[in-house]
Amino acid sequence: MKIKTIALNGIVAAVYVIVTALIQPIAFSQIQFRVPEIFNHLVVFNKKYFFGIVIGVFVANLMFSNLLPFDLIFGVIHTVLSLAITIIISKFVHNKITLMLINTVIFSFNMFIIAYELQLALEFPFWETWLFTASGELIVMVIGIPVMYIINKRINIASH
Amino acid sequence: MLDNIKLGQYLHGDSWYYRLDPRAKLVMTTFFVVIIFMANNWITYLGATIFTLLIIFTSGVSLKFFYRSIRPIFFLIMLTFVLNLILYRTGEHFPPLTINISKVLVTGYGIFIILLIFLRIFKVIDKYISGKIFKISLLIIIIINVVIAYLFKNEQFIWSFNWIIYKGAVINGGFVILRLVLIISFSSLLTFTTKPTELTLAIEHVLAPLKIIKFPVSELALMISIALRFIPTLLEETQKILKAQTSRGADLTEGNLKEKVIQIISLLIPMFIISFKRAEDLANAMEARGYVPGKKRTSYRILKWRLRDTLYVTSFVLLTVYFIYFRYLWK
Repeated sequence: MKIKTIALNGIVAAVYVIVTALIQPIAFSQIQFRVPEIFNHLVVFNKKYFFGIVIGVFVANLMFSNLLPFDLIFGVIHTVLSLAITIIISKFVHNKITLMLINTVIFSFNMFIIAYELQLALEFPFWETWLFTASGELIVMVIGIPVMYIINKRINIASH
Repeated sequence: MLDNIKLGQYLHGDSWYYRLDPRAKLVMTTFFVVIIFMANNWITYLGATIFTLLIIFTSGVSLKFFYRSIRPIFFLIMLTFVLNLILYRTGEHFPPLTINISKVLVTGYGIFIILLIFLRIFKVIDKYISGKIFKISLLIIIIINVVIAYLFKNEQFIWSFNWIIYKGAVINGGFVILRLVLIISFSSLLTFTTKPTELTLAIEHVLAPLKIIKFPVSELALMISIALRFIPTLLEETQKILKAQTSRGADLTEGNLKEKVIQIISLLIPMFIISFKRAEDLANAMEARGYVPGKKRTSYRILKWRLRDTLYVTSFVLLTVYFIYFRYLWK
């Protein structure tokens, strides 16, 4: 791993945490509108952002989560798994917007991990929780697509 | 907006729990979260509660901090309990609770809701005091309920049903809540008494075996450290950006979805530019000071395993034995 990648990922993680802090009140409930989830699209532009996003999720949960151990473990598993799938798919799909759409679907589908977490911790009904959490994720990440697209036009995310 | 954000949950203090090896604290907290799921009857839960309370009371952390970490999930806890009451349908049950809905009741609620909407439309109550209004409304609703039940005893019911509450539901709901409170208290204790940097070091040590499969453990720990180090710095920068954008007329809290998205973009672009620049500087600084990724490095902090850590781990082994005995063998 290059020095540049290490420094960049550390700082991207810090940005993730700050954006989480900005919108803290609506971040950790059953219907999650976690705005920093749009950062998940970073991996579409360059797979080296993988660690930054995962660490961002980890540290944000460590600092702000109410269901601490559960969010730490399952949140990280959810992110790692989804990003890994997107990285594999990115070898075959090169259109950024298509890839961001695929990324959104993967992350939303994988919310079953979070639904399982909530079932385990709070005995929430699994299917309904999956529906709720996945729709929250879907909305945020769909909004994230134009956001990331515009940002990438202004500052080339992949080249840094 | 950003002034009252508390970064991290570390509380300064000193006690045996503070002095424990962070590896012991991290691994045992995770272990506790796993084994608490073995508890299934009152005696195992009693043991777990006493064990947790003993550690909490001797840890030197004031109880009010635990209350603060449980308070935000109070709504979740209530929701869990209610869901349990509705979904759990086996075993013995309490005498059914008859719920009657009459015309007068519906009219009463209707008038009340319309009144609330009117007050909201005409800005008599704004969103800042609507939290208070909500609590007062709940009280009023209960009063309406009681009054109507007494005044219109003989009225025709539109809808009437029996709500059966099962004994198992109450017990199970209680256990789920207790388990959650124990887990939250235990993990809060870890973050209250362990600095994030110590925790990162502990994570690095715990994940060390993954080095065999070429997983970049030290780099991962370094990235976490960088993130922790740069959160306050970047937060300050973010405040500046927010103020600059506010002075230009942006408002993150107002506007429709499209406006909000544009405002988020106007915040994110400068943030990304600043972070990329910082990362560049940081990488150069690290290179200039001779950091080579993947090379074996010494650490400023050295963790030392002491007798108290072994004793702490032993106490968890005993708790596990207790759980196994009272779950499987005790009749």
